[in-house]
Amino acid sequence: MKTRIASCPIISQESITDRIQRLVLHCPEIAGAAKPGQFVHVRVHPSWDPLLRRPFSVHAADRKNGSIALLYRVIGKGTAFLRSLGNGASVNLMGPLGNGFRLDQSRSRALVMAGGLGSAPAFFLIDRLLEYGRPVIFMWGTRSAEEIFGLDRFRVAGVEIHLATDDGSLGRAGTVTGLLEAFLRESKSLKNLEGFVCGPEPMLAAVQALVAGKPLRVQACLEERMACGTGVCQGCAVRMQSGLYRMVCSDGPVFPIEEVDFGG
Amino acid sequence: MAVDLSVRIGSLVLKNPVLTASGTFGYGTEYSEYFDPSLLGGIVTKTITLEPRAGNPMPRIAETPAGMLNSIGLANVGVEKYITEKLPLLEGLDTAVIANVAGNTAEEYGVLVRRLSGLRRVDAFEINISCPNVRKDGLAFGMDAEATRDVVRCVRSETDKTVIVKLTPNVTDIVAIARAAVEAGADALSLINTVLGMAVDIETRRPLLARVTGGLSGPAIKPIALARLYQVRQSLDVPLIGIGGIMTAGDALEFFFTGATAVEVGTLNFIDPLGSVSILSGLVRYCEGRGISSFSSIIGTLVLES
Ligand SMILES: Cc1cc2nc3c(=O)[nH]c(=O)nc-3n(C[C@H](O)[C@H](O)[C@H](O)COP(=O)(O)OP(=O)(O)OC[C@H]3O[C@@H](n4cnc5c(N)ncnc54)[C@H](O)[C@@H]3O)c2cc1C
Ligand SMILES: Cc1cc2nc3c(=O)[nH]c(=O)nc-3n(C[C@H](O)[C@H](O)[C@H](O)COP(=O)(O)O)c2cc1C
Ligand code: FES
Repeated sequence: MKTRIASCPIISQESITDRIQRLVLHCPEIAGAAKPGQFVHVRVHPSWDPLLRRPFSVHAADRKNGSIALLYRVIGKGTAFLRSLGNGASVNLMGPLGNGFRLDQSRSRALVMAGGLGSAPAFFLIDRLLEYGRPVIFMWGTRSAEEIFGLDRFRVAGVEIHLATDDGSLGRAGTVTGLLEAFLRESKSLKNLEGFVCGPEPMLAAVQALVAGKPLRVQACLEERMACGTGVCQGCAVRMQSGLYRMVCSDGPVFPIEEVDFGG
Repeated sequence: MAVDLSVRIGSLVLKNPVLTASGTFGYGTEYSEYFDPSLLGGIVTKTITLEPRAGNPMPRIAETPAGMLNSIGLANVGVEKYITEKLPLLEGLDTAVIANVAGNTAEEYGVLVRRLSGLRRVDAFEINISCPNVRKDGLAFGMDAEATRDVVRCVRSETDKTVIVKLTPNVTDIVAIARAAVEAGADALSLINTVLGMAVDIETRRPLLARVTGGLSGPAIKPIALARLYQVRQSLDVPLIGIGGIMTAGDALEFFFTGATAVEVGTLNFIDPLGSVSILSGLVRYCEGRGISSFSSIIGTLVLES
């Protein structure tokens, strides 16, 4: 797998909410190579402040147009600067990095769970699962209804969608783990089902606890602060149940959920 | 016009003066997918200890203005795996390999160097004395002239290869430490290692690093590094390797003028894996543009009011 460092022109940037942005960039090589769960490392500003690149999951990859999309929440100085960039500006990207989700030849149903901006990798994952012809169940929890978007094409494709919002403004009141609990309670069998989860760490920990001991394999996409993004600096360590550290950037960001020690 | 870029550090001749700094370039081949490491004057590999080390709890890194903090905790594969798995990857590269080592005691440094000194692929040693001395309440060896002297003596007696002692800036009198290292047999000094630093999240009131304090690197420390280099240059006549916040050829030139014979590029590798070779080509352009045929002629040419 070849990783690129390239200056990529912005094709479009739109605001989904006042804090969530969708950025589309022209980078044919990354678009061609990217797999769901992989990320790009973005030099948001040409100066040395902010210094480090910012990691963002690939949200969509269009091989035909040679473009990728990122979905990001504006939370600090890097993402605030990224939002200020208009069409025609270029952003330096490194990627695709990390190991994506393992998608084998299985025909089993895919249960995709996303919390908040976990939808960034989850949408790309669902796109590819649908390309492979797999039935998809999508559970998505956000703060409120305004952060739910982009589901029409999944509905058309027959994805079974379950929504939850913290404030109850859409779907079930509560979190995506509430949806999972209900699903597990109501499911007669977990056979022929494979789980994928992307979201903040407390959510991943809750999903780990819910599926513990159940015959359901779940792959989780993790986040940790990063410097190099390529396994060199040893900065993005995550502790495994084995007691060993693995690097989120180069060993992950996707790990079998039962292997991660979320307490550590 | 071809510029002669070679420089000499002790008995080690580097084909050019740009190296990569320990801990920022892995074991030397991690960035091979982006460029050929043979372009570099040398590679300083990640600090190696006798036993493998898993490293510190996370978060291990945090960003600060024009800088980053790290408390990686010298995570490394240990000397045996270094020899059997990492060094062989560097066979055939046309660049100097400088093994960086650290021990818990002065004797351990000696054991490490003895184990590595006979290996053809190790061209020189960089001695990391910024790590805690278990016999002195964890105070770093490099914060104490006597401890520094002990370490360098142990190392010197085990090898004829070039020994570079890497100084920490977190001391009151860096010249005293530098002098102790040279008196005990160091061929050269490299400086600086990271600067002790800390950052706090004001929402949670928690330190940004699990270990609370860590090492600051990047552009934020360049002025500190230059001042330390200048202080040591004024007092000692050994080759010095400048390290700290070097992001451009211009930054590197500041170190060369101040008296560095070579430079190590650190944090930049994380942001731009090609950064070290860009610096090298910038230095070549600088020399060509000014008709300088021998790079070493610019070293130590800082202009001071007399
Ligand atoms: C593999 C991976 C994929 C990611 N994918 C997405 C995505 O698709 N969409 C999205 O909105 N965000 C994503 N994030 C989080 C995103 O990287 C941060 O929100 C972003 O770096 C914040 O930058 P800032 O300058 O605005 O924030 P600041 O708080 O100013 O950043 C300061 C430092 O902390 C780091 N940092 C801050 N928050 C996080 C975080 N949550 N995770 C990791 N590092 C952080 C920054 O990279 C930077 O080094 C991902 C993180 C990882 C590790
Ligand atoms: C993540 C990280 C890990 C480092 N690990 C080591 C190490 O193992 N041994 C060592 O001697 N120095 C280590 N350093 C220090 C660097 O080699 C260098 O001295 C320092 O970062 C200053 O240079 P810079 O500002 O160019 O990064 C590390 C620095 C960073 C940022
Ligand atoms: S960010 Fe450097 S090892 Fe993962």
